[in-house]
Amino acid sequence: MTQPAGQARIGIDVGGTFTDFVLFVPDRANLVHHKQPSTPDDPSLAVADGLRVLLEKAKLGPEQVGLLMHGTTIGLNAIIQRRGARVALVVTRGFRDVLEIGRSRMPSSFDFHASKEVPLVPRDRVVEIAARLDRNGQPTQLPDDAALAQTAAALRDLAPDAVALMIINGYTNPQVEGALAERLAALLDGVPVSSASVIWPEIREFERTLVACMNAGIQPLMQGYFDRLQQRLTDDRITAPIFVTGSNGGSLSVATARLRPVETLLSGPASGVMAASRLAGQAGLARIITFDMGGTSSDIAVSSDGEPEFATRTEIGGLPLVLPVVAVSAIGAGGGSILRVDAQGMLKVGPQSAGADPGPVAYGRGGTRPTVTDCYLVTGLIDPDRFLGGRLRLEHAAAERALAEIAAQLGLTGPDAAAQAAWGALRVATSGMVTELFKTMASRGLNPTEFALLPFGGAGPTHANLLAEEAEIPRILVPGPAATFCALGAVSADLRRDFVRSLRRRLDPASAADLAGLFVALNDEARLWLAGEGDLARSVDFQHAVDMRYGGQAYELRVSLAHGATGLADIAEAFHAAHERLYGFRDEQAPVELSTARLAIIGRVAPVALPRLARADGAPIPRGRRPIFLGDGWIDAAVYDRATLGAGQRIAGPAIIEQDDTTTPVLPGWDARVDGHGNLDLSREET
Amino acid sequence: MMLDPITLEILGNKLAAATEEMCVTLQRIGRTLYVKETADFCCALAGLDGRFFAYPRSIGVSGFVGLNCLATIAAVGPLQPGDVILTNDPYRSLGLATHLPDLHVITPYFHDGEIVAYGWAFLHCSDVGGRVPSSISPTNSEVFQEGLQIPPIKLVREGVMNADLELLFRANVRTPDANMGDIRAMLAALRMGGQRTERIIAQHGVAAFLAAQQALVTYTSQRAHAVLASLPEGSWRFSDYLDSDAVSDLPVRLAVTITLAGGGIHIDFTGTDPQLQAAMNIPSAGRVHPWLTLRVMALIATLDPGVLLNAGLQTPIRMTAPEGTVVNPTSPAAVGVRHAACVRVNDLLNGALGQAAPLVMTAANSGMIVPVVVAEPNGRGGRNVQVVEPMTGGTGGRHGRDGIDGRDPSISNLANNPVETVEAELSVEIERYALRADSAGAGEWRGGLGLELCFRIGVDDTMVLARGMERAVFRPWGMAGGAAGANAEFIVERPGQEPQILRRIDMLQLRRDDRVTLRTAGAGGYGNPFRRDPELVLDDVRRGLVSVAAARDAYGVVIDSGALDGAATTALRAKGSPTAPSSGPERAAWDGVFAPALLDRLAAVLRNRPIAARQAEKTRLYGAVLAGLPDGFPATAASDAATCAAQRIFNDQIAALEAAPATGALA
Repeated sequence: MTQPAGQARIGIDVGGTFTDFVLFVPDRANLVHHKQPSTPDDPSLAVADGLRVLLEKAKLGPEQVGLLMHGTTIGLNAIIQRRGARVALVVTRGFRDVLEIGRSRMPSSFDFHASKEVPLVPRDRVVEIAARLDRNGQPTQLPDDAALAQTAAALRDLAPDAVALMIINGYTNPQVEGALAERLAALLDGVPVSSASVIWPEIREFERTLVACMNAGIQPLMQGYFDRLQQRLTDDRITAPIFVTGSNGGSLSVATARLRPVETLLSGPASGVMAASRLAGQAGLARIITFDMGGTSSDIAVSSDGEPEFATRTEIGGLPLVLPVVAVSAIGAGGGSILRVDAQGMLKVGPQSAGADPGPVAYGRGGTRPTVTDCYLVTGLIDPDRFLGGRLRLEHAAAERALAEIAAQLGLTGPDAAAQAAWGALRVATSGMVTELFKTMASRGLNPTEFALLPFGGAGPTHANLLAEEAEIPRILVPGPAATFCALGAVSADLRRDFVRSLRRRLDPASAADLAGLFVALNDEARLWLAGEGDLARSVDFQHAVDMRYGGQAYELRVSLAHGATGLADIAEAFHAAHERLYGFRDEQAPVELSTARLAIIGRVAPVALPRLARADGAPIPRGRRPIFLGDGWIDAAVYDRATLGAGQRIAGPAIIEQDDTTTPVLPGWDARVDGHGNLDLSREET
Repeated sequence: MMLDPITLEILGNKLAAATEEMCVTLQRIGRTLYVKETADFCCALAGLDGRFFAYPRSIGVSGFVGLNCLATIAAVGPLQPGDVILTNDPYRSLGLATHLPDLHVITPYFHDGEIVAYGWAFLHCSDVGGRVPSSISPTNSEVFQEGLQIPPIKLVREGVMNADLELLFRANVRTPDANMGDIRAMLAALRMGGQRTERIIAQHGVAAFLAAQQALVTYTSQRAHAVLASLPEGSWRFSDYLDSDAVSDLPVRLAVTITLAGGGIHIDFTGTDPQLQAAMNIPSAGRVHPWLTLRVMALIATLDPGVLLNAGLQTPIRMTAPEGTVVNPTSPAAVGVRHAACVRVNDLLNGALGQAAPLVMTAANSGMIVPVVVAEPNGRGGRNVQVVEPMTGGTGGRHGRDGIDGRDPSISNLANNPVETVEAELSVEIERYALRADSAGAGEWRGGLGLELCFRIGVDDTMVLARGMERAVFRPWGMAGGAAGANAEFIVERPGQEPQILRRIDMLQLRRDDRVTLRTAGAGGYGNPFRRDPELVLDDVRRGLVSVAAARDAYGVVIDSGALDGAATTALRAKGSPTAPSSGPERAAWDGVFAPALLDRLAAVLRNRPIAARQAEKTRLYGAVLAGLPDGFPATAASDAATCAAQRIFNDQIAALEAAPATGALA
């Protein structure tokens, strides 16, 4: 499985509309990109077709492919749309309603017509079993063979594709539940059994049950997909190993992903953030906010010194996910968000979205309600003839007519009414995004003006300057290949897996020693895993953290421990310091409690060196000029073709910089410089 | 200044977000459990009239959007930049604070020497002194037992903390450091609000900032009026009960008349019982108050989910809450557990509104919130005190939809505790935490199921508290022909003894291997259960939520070996639907003696007595009537003869009171 020198690494991101490819050969100067329309009925088809085109573009044969790094949203969509496999759930007697009760909160305390989330497994497919541990990991009930046979019979009647198993306190001793899962699987002729405590031995039965149910629900789907993909690649004589990107920004072998597909759920957004983190590192930016603006929404993430922030509680389809994932927060409108004027005459943007179909009015596919993209068009920020490199011709007149209607409802008149409405909607959308961004940063005690913005996704660069201006973010770095960014993240992904074990003890010499022992065991487990993933890794890093709290506190804080710093005093000080940093106080009198030990293993793969762009001297030559509308009448802006720009060149706003897959406006008062990797580096002019 | 709709939308967004940033700041820095876990706090921006023009959408306590800061501001006299007012006094703040653990702070925001807005924050702190730890007990009879009362007073003068006040405060509370930490978190939130206000004024100008305050409230009130105007005009009356006043088994009556006209609503609580010598009184100052209008605000936000939360939600409401009653007590009535009565006020408004808008409102929710608390010896001479689960039931069925099973966010949208974290903290073993089958009120659209929690005690000398145990007697009522939900049950099993069913629990002393079971009430059903789609009944049976017997008896649906028997169902349903009263047999028996018309007369005559004497008068009267009825009435049925006799006695007693001269003027 070693990747011979000179062989190609290919990053693939399977999205709903397009499957994106990035190809990297260590001794070549350029990355090769390709975009292939996705084939949702069998996504492996677009992957295979696209690979052929990509290899042709790169003039490489199948035997020259050394590694495929692959991100997919198949699992995510199955969970959001509740169309995963038919799962049966086995739980400790007395807890059949673990999914029905959940954490018992409702989406709103006011809206009494709101419904609660649809459980992943309906109650009639939940089977109880007399199996339970106490809080110290000792079994208090375990089924004998006869009882287990009964459970198996009940399960067979339900005809499941996959089974999930969760026993109360299973996290304290995962082997017990694992052994039970194996005994059960042996009675179920080939139906896979996902053990919650084996996959993720963290305290909290509802959340852990969901991990197992999600895993079971997407496993048959993902395995089928991997089988088909493997077959197609074999047919095309591509024998390179396939790796799958994970929600934690790393990657896993296909063998691991087949067993633990739940780890790949949020790989798409994670890959984009990872790519941004690496890019920022190479550009010398220590702290960035990534800004991914797509069709229906915009997402941000925060990254410092090349490492994104992780979350251990996110939401998928209304359900919590406790696996560590790159922390991505939605902040509002996307390009397809729809404008409307309400009964009281107020202008609203979103949350309804026109999506890709019918899409914005300008797409001419039957959309009648104007969207944010229509606003870019009518204000001149994007060019109808050069959208997506001219592949999709936009209908300016139709967009203008639709916006003129909005303008009339707002009482705007005159020749610029449509443009005024469009600009107004962009202001509304922007202020909505900025307020959400401020809140996200405030909850972490961070100040957005100390960060640079790194936009990607189709509309990210188009909206970035508007966002930065409103948020008073002083700098923006626009990467070169905006739209295949997630694939770029995939191709450069390290191997990574997270491990946990909950212990729930007061911090004292004995528990500190136990914790150290636990980390040794987790280290061994992690090394064993990495050894089974092939030999891609050049070096290995471990990250240790513990969830801790002061006695009596209801919330826990995830505290990183320096390698080897597992002595009592080190642990205590790490917690006090982290608490003080985030919450503003420490309490050295209060007892400290340990909860969940976390370990991440990172197998560093050879980095992808971003190609360098040749220098160009002198002022860049605009392709043309066009008027743009930024509120106070039309102003004249120079239009540049990004492909013609060289490193070191500068452009002063107002200006428009166009490329195949996105457009970057530079506002008045801003200045864009092309850096050595071809990134656009925008900053506010000194005043 | 007239704002264009784009600028107003942007300002509305920014101002609401400013309050949300205040909230996340408070939550991040705040010290206590109430702040971190149950989010019992909020922040907002108030205009010069003391009402909130900007309020958070997605964080904090939604219901307090209707509070009014003006009396608190007026009480301290002129304000300087950097001043911060503190109060927790329900009576002197005229209902800004509604029990003593809620600390409220207010600061003026200045621009060019003039006050342009106020920042407000509140949080529920751990303890403000008083008779019991955490300051709250249902059996407190006076506010003086509930902790230190802080009238509106300047905590900070021109940026300098009032050291004398801090000294006094620290000396009177059990958790001084945590409280001061919480206060500092609120001050940080107020500073964040000030920064955001300045930023908005810098971007948009002070004239726009001031104009937006007015315009946003007007905007919301227009939307609120539009919702209420979509309902039919008219007057509707409704009454409901709390099982007990926490100190005796005497039920507490709440009654309301709502009048809808011209997009406005008048809420009149005349007929509600006198204020209690227990801590369930709601200090509303007789105003349009959040605790007395929650269901109306929820109705507006349900029918117009995009409505911006601000004081405009209250504009269409007029209030009559007679002084000296549970809904408008006078000092020194205790108020610590006012939310227990608020749960029932919510049911009351729901029932009244349900007659006006039967296609919108729900049957009764479970109507109870019981935090089950275990306090066990920690082996170091103290006690380890933990909430096992905050127990509630489901929500009521409504036209076209079943209720929600096992959840009810209408008063507090609390997260529960994982069984595993509870067992890691305590030595109890939780044997069952599940939906309670057959508890839902039957209906064409059934109510939500209640919950069942069963746990075994792990060590001797364990105490179990289950305050707020309600709906054990008077069930959550059904609507439009739907049935009432099952009543709540609390059972204690001690090895070798008969299970003991308790109606009212304050604190239980238990030993290892004793077992406690709490079953919360099911919510009421909507519509005739015999019209429920048999397939839905079958589905409930398959999922184990309804038994085969209940499918037959309550729904007229015959299920045989897991399959629907269509012919038998048709035949059974043809015999006619069940005739049980929608409010449950207990309420029917109660009304048979304590008829609504008599109770309204009693309320009227008690109003001519001094406030302090009313509760005693009521207790005396009820005692005389109940003496002729079986123990446990109305849960235990009475004979027709006894019922008639008791009603006669009640009637005579009221007539005697009416004839007697009033012993004091209106308080």
